[in-house]
Amino acid sequence: MPRIAGVDIPPNKRIEYSLRYIHGVGPKIALDILNEVQIEVGTPAKDLTDEQVTHIAAVIDRSLQVEGQLRRAVQQNIARLRDIKCYRGSRHRAHLPVRGQRTRTNARTRKGPKKTVAGKKSVKELR
Amino acid sequence: MARSQKKGPFVEEKLFKKVMNLKSSGSTVPIKTWARRCTIVPEFVGHKFDVHNGRQFYQVYVSEDMVGHKLGEFSPTRTFRGHGKGKK
Repeated sequence: MPRIAGVDIPPNKRIEYSLRYIHGVGPKIALDILNEVQIEVGTPAKDLTDEQVTHIAAVIDRSLQVEGQLRRAVQQNIARLRDIKCYRGSRHRAHLPVRGQRTRTNARTRKGPKKTVAGKKSVKELR
Repeated sequence: MARSQKKGPFVEEKLFKKVMNLKSSGSTVPIKTWARRCTIVPEFVGHKFDVHNGRQFYQVYVSEDMVGHKLGEFSPTRTFRGHGKGKK
């Protein structure tokens, strides 16, 4: 069972898909990696030789931020926005959408489950 | 869409001159400005600005982290007083 960049072990899938179980590796980067280490696209992950696995791990180690490291970097970027008191930072602090989306309706991903307020106009009445 | 690289960051000329003048005279009086669209460049670091938000001037002390943002991002234009309290 291959193990790359920490804990990730998806064995029965084609390698270009199983690589995507690593946080920070998507469709494009998965293909880029395979291209660089010269592994044929479509090889099942379990059929990789140990050598190939270490090679992939080395490439990721050298050129990419993945998993915990990446998560930390993202958190730091957000923390920076919060600290400098800019508009985007205050939106993060308030758990509201950051990129100018509407908040009159929707925005549930950021705001969480609906909190019903008595007397508030429903979406139907808004129109 | 992001601004074209070719043009470089947008900096209000007048404001930039003012900052340079103040820097050479070494004073740290806040500069009153309406130029919310002006990008913060490294020369602004350590300076105070009174950025207009449509109603009043909001004082902004520029730190190193703010470089690359616009002045307006630091002067909130909306007042949020919270939801649904004080209802009888």
